[in-house]
Amino acid sequence: MKAWMRSHAMWIASGGLVVAMLASLGIGDMALSLDRIWAGLWNEDEMAAIILWQIRVPRMLVAIEIGAALAASGVVMQAYFRNSLASPGLLGVSSGGAAGAVVAIGAGWTMVSFYILPLMAIVGALGATLAVVGLARRGASTERLLLAGVALNALLGAVTSYVLSDFTLSYERNAQIIFWLLGGLEDRNWDHVLMAAPVLLCAALLWPLGRSMDLLSLGATEAQSLGVNVRVLRRKMLALSTVMTALATAVAGTVGFVGLVVPHIFRLMVGPEHKQLVPLSLIGGATFVLACDLIGRSMGNIRLGIVTAVLGGPFFLWMLRRRV
Amino acid sequence: MTGLKLKGISVSDRLNRLNLEVEAGQLVGLIGPNGSGKSTLLSVAAGLLPGSGTVEWSGRDLDEIDPLERGRLAAWVPQDAMFSFGFSVRAVVGHGRFAHGDDEQGIDEALERMDLTSLADRRVNELSGGERQRVILARALATVAPLQFWDEPLAALDVRHGLEVLRLARELTKVGKTVFFSLHDLRLAHSLDRVVLLKDGDLYAEGSPDEVLTETNLQDVFGVRMRTAPGLILELT
Repeated sequence: MKAWMRSHAMWIASGGLVVAMLASLGIGDMALSLDRIWAGLWNEDEMAAIILWQIRVPRMLVAIEIGAALAASGVVMQAYFRNSLASPGLLGVSSGGAAGAVVAIGAGWTMVSFYILPLMAIVGALGATLAVVGLARRGASTERLLLAGVALNALLGAVTSYVLSDFTLSYERNAQIIFWLLGGLEDRNWDHVLMAAPVLLCAALLWPLGRSMDLLSLGATEAQSLGVNVRVLRRKMLALSTVMTALATAVAGTVGFVGLVVPHIFRLMVGPEHKQLVPLSLIGGATFVLACDLIGRSMGNIRLGIVTAVLGGPFFLWMLRRRV
Repeated sequence: MTGLKLKGISVSDRLNRLNLEVEAGQLVGLIGPNGSGKSTLLSVAAGLLPGSGTVEWSGRDLDEIDPLERGRLAAWVPQDAMFSFGFSVRAVVGHGRFAHGDDEQGIDEALERMDLTSLADRRVNELSGGERQRVILARALATVAPLQFWDEPLAALDVRHGLEVLRLARELTKVGKTVFFSLHDLRLAHSLDRVVLLKDGDLYAEGSPDEVLTETNLQDVFGVRMRTAPGLILELT
């Protein structure tokens, strides 16, 4: 079964992504048939073209970018820490990105340049990554790793709360922060697509590291003994996962559990080899976020972050139970 | 030709200015009590633990060899490999080919040599300690590296597989590879080319098994009395 799955997983995942993309384009306040989607994409149906090119296509692309980014970050962190429970949300890297972004919004820096937000998210996420690396160390027990994440999430949550409780901020700015913190894809436009576009470059850089990541997941000493330049590999992995998480957080707020759920499902399906796990998680993460966004949209516009948490929370508890 | 040369190796509190030279194609056993520095010495020799002093592989300073080439020149067998993820046995043996490029036939041969063909598709973290040890040895075999560093490779193995590993090590040395490994069973040490005896991080004695495994040395290092007596001798059929 697993052998069959291994040879067909890419087709299944790609098929799932295409279906989710079409559903994302077709479903909404005004449903569009496949014919109208096709006509709209080629500007042959004016109404469909406006809906697609101004609203649904950028939203779909942002969903793909952040889904791929968060799932790939999860895979990287799991290999780095040799722990399948490591993920950007649980370890506090997403919170770091969020804290950086909230500070940028609160201080009004985002008025200066649109790109201050992702930059500050990267600074925050990088700080959190370095902190969790220092606190937990590689190969740390699950308890130590998760407790480091709990501590960081609490600390960074306090930063966010502090900015929110600053009464000198205008009501609008506070509302903007809260709206953004809940994590969602509402009103995402082409600027956001562009802002998250470096994620694709990160994914391309991550792809060839699969084999080395297999070896690093055995431990640094073993990876080194087999010919891996461990120091360089670790730096690349941390840089790529941090930038991907930060950019995803910068464009869509805090969207949890993607980096935990998606790699785990694919690991169960095809095994732990990163040569397959990385591309599958990129595709699967995009599909998962598109699906969660669709669920939220069809249930009265529930925010994306809430849907992923409702699905991912119980999944995380199930994973913990299995480990016990 | 020199296979391995260690000059003035020190690791704080664990090894004291240790010098050692091993000819290529020798089967060398490292013995000593718990905590005498065997694993530390093997790790430094394999380039996996920094220490002061110099390490040379086949006459080349280790500092001048890049990580990928190190992977081609030396294989490492850890004392107890832990697997966080469920790689298949075949995949783990295939990891040994990272620095060389894939070689399915080489992987098959390594699996067969370690009696693992029937376990090739099993997940490695579901195996027993002894089976895992054989998987790691098969991985070392798949590297075809001229220097083989094995940290207590026999510890978890049953008597037959233990003897087979010794036979394998001997075969490797016959084709010019150097095998440097730690062991506890002094009876097995008698079949080796050379024995290195450690005590409290110092090189206490080295030479042929007959020179090193003397009553005085064993009394001094292990605090035990050696007595030869007729006993059970096991050989591969």
